Amino acid sequence: MITVKDLHKYYNDHYLFKGISLDVKKGEVVAIIGPSGSGKSTFLRCINGLEKFQKGEVIVDGIKLQSINRSNPSKEDLEVIRKIRLKVGMVFQQFNLFPHMTVLENIIEAPVKVLGIDRNEARENALTLLRRINLENKIDSLPEDLSGGEQQRVAIVRALAMKPDVMLFDEPTSSLDPETVGEVLSVIKDLVDRGMTTLIVTHLMQFAREVADRVVVFDKGDIIETGLPDEIFTNPKNERTKSFLSRIINK
Amino acid sequence: MLKNKFHLLNIFILVGLFVFLSVNTSLAQQNNNALDKIKERGSLIWGADAEGGAPYIFPDPDNPENYIGFEVDLAEAIAKKLGVKALHKQNAWDGLVPALERGDFDIAMNGIEITDDRKEAILFSRPYYVYVEQLVVRKEEDNINDLNDLKGKKVGTLSGTVAQDILQNLGGVDVRIYPGQVQPYEDLAIGRIDAVLLDLPIAAYYGKPNPKLKYAGEPMGEGLYGIAIRQEDEELKVKIDEILAELLRSGELKKIYEKWDLWNEAQDELYEKMQVESGYADLEKSRQAPIYTFFPLLLKGAGITIIISVVSMGLAVTLGLFLTLIRLYGRAPFTYLSTAYIEIYRGTPLLIQLFILYYGLPNIGISLSPWVVAFLGLGMNYAAYEAEIYRAGISAIPKGQMEAALSLGMSRSLAIRRIILPQSLSISLPGITNDFIALFKDSSLVSIIAIVELTKTYNILAASTLRFFELGLITAVLYFGMSYPLSLLARRLENSLKRKKVGV
Repeated sequence: MITVKDLHKYYNDHYLFKGISLDVKKGEVVAIIGPSGSGKSTFLRCINGLEKFQKGEVIVDGIKLQSINRSNPSKEDLEVIRKIRLKVGMVFQQFNLFPHMTVLENIIEAPVKVLGIDRNEARENALTLLRRINLENKIDSLPEDLSGGEQQRVAIVRALAMKPDVMLFDEPTSSLDPETVGEVLSVIKDLVDRGMTTLIVTHLMQFAREVADRVVVFDKGDIIETGLPDEIFTNPKNERTKSFLSRIINK
Repeated sequence: MLKNKFHLLNIFILVGLFVFLSVNTSLAQQNNNALDKIKERGSLIWGADAEGGAPYIFPDPDNPENYIGFEVDLAEAIAKKLGVKALHKQNAWDGLVPALERGDFDIAMNGIEITDDRKEAILFSRPYYVYVEQLVVRKEEDNINDLNDLKGKKVGTLSGTVAQDILQNLGGVDVRIYPGQVQPYEDLAIGRIDAVLLDLPIAAYYGKPNPKLKYAGEPMGEGLYGIAIRQEDEELKVKIDEILAELLRSGELKKIYEKWDLWNEAQDELYEKMQVESGYADLEKSRQAPIYTFFPLLLKGAGITIIISVVSMGLAVTLGLFLTLIRLYGRAPFTYLSTAYIEIYRGTPLLIQLFILYYGLPNIGISLSPWVVAFLGLGMNYAAYEAEIYRAGISAIPKGQMEAALSLGMSRSLAIRRIILPQSLSISLPGITNDFIALFKDSSLVSIIAIVELTKTYNILAASTLRFFELGLITAVLYFGMSYPLSLLARRLENSLKRKKVGV
């Protein structure tokens, strides 16, 4: 489903990625872990074009995105990115719900304006999705009236409303109170169980262990280790993986 | 301690206000001098050259010690309205203005043409006669029919007249200048000169009746006679204007001219000139007039201010948004152009911009009406400021909003339109309404390009009534009355935007 080939990214003279690659199969769930600043989020954002890269390829379901000149992307490049974004949904650490719109409006804005779906149909779809997460009674609420957990769940539904083939989660629970983390995780788990191709950057090792098919370990802009969750968590091969995990798990 | 200081401050303010008020009223009284002197004296002394001065002023053929003429009649009519007698003082035509400035008489009235040169030295009353120039030649003359035929000819005229200017500007004319108006026609009859160009009243008296002479061609040119008044005697001028207007209205002036065979169609212009001024109260009346007599005019000025401000702000708000969007989201050369526009318009005074639009552009062939200049000048200037306010609002929106929108597959422009701008507007709104309120006051600048809005109306009224303080207060209240509702409206808008609902 997703192929990242030899990705290079640098800022002025400062290198972030010096050629990393990753393959994600359809239906696969990949957890990306690693120390802060290791480039996990940046990597994720390269996949849906929120970050530009200087060299390499990103291929999503056959759509190929090559490196883009930062300041003046060509029309073709923008087309490619647009197509990719229609296939890839993203959930942010900060939720990023549109505060001037209700929950319903948040969810149906893109389907109606971008996909041209009939408003009533979009509303029905939204209701269905909201029911699945038990928030249909909040359909006319404003984001400011919702708790953090509720907002993030709405954000997930908003992304799902575009019927993506892949979902990217960028530390989805890092801004949440511990009480509400659980409700968001259960939504993600539900999604995963339904077979959604998923990439999730997370600090929650337990959850990663639970849902991931594969774990990818980042450090200093490099993928230092990949493997099955059990392997990574109980028997990491790389020294840096070991020290990272020991810092996290021994809390 | 603080209380005492307050007390002191209050006293200072009260004293200051008192001084200000008394100074203001006493200043107003100083100008009474000329008019008061006349009334005290019981006579209006007017200067004119009676020598050969028909039909203006000349010795009565039946009784040479008496002077008659249409200006004699007019002087008497004016004096009567003032409640005094008219006293004529003889002075050579050439020296009338200098003598007036010296104080030899109160006014000079002798067919003095209203010209810009003279206006630099003295005041003129409203025009009391519209004169035309008439060419006179010998009866047997067939070669001279209009001004163009005068080249190479000897033409006589009175010194210091517009006729003299006309002849001299023609070029190629042998201009003979006479100190009086009788001699040119005498010389013409004898054959010393070929033609005479002078004002119609003169031609009518000395040219026409002479069997040896005749008119050549139609009357040409048009000018105005005004009564000459010293520059410092403003109140006298206002009073005389008022009297002339009355005489015109009542028909008395027309009767005088008809008596001397001077009335013609051209005099209709005198009435037209009256129309323009009839809206403004005369000084005497306006002293006692209740303050609400000025309301209609001030309200009209306020109405114009409102129109100018609203339309200009509309332009500013629209253009400003356009500028910001180009600057933030546009492509290379245009982003620099937008920035340049903003910096230039913010960095130069609005007054200068108005001047350039109004007085400068005609130099390259673009002549805009005052209204267009007002809208463009104010609108384009304020657009630069609104652009920056929009930009501030937009940059206050967290980056994640655009990212979320883009991730959902929205195009940049859709995201800007539906997600960024609506949010940024509630941030920008206070700044924009603030500017709108400022614009109302800045609109007073367009008075320099001939638009009579509220401030200009105030200036005109105050100058002619000298009631600077009262009128000023009312004007300020009117401005406040236009601005404050805006503030309230703005607050309501902000509150409703705060509810953050976008109409679905």
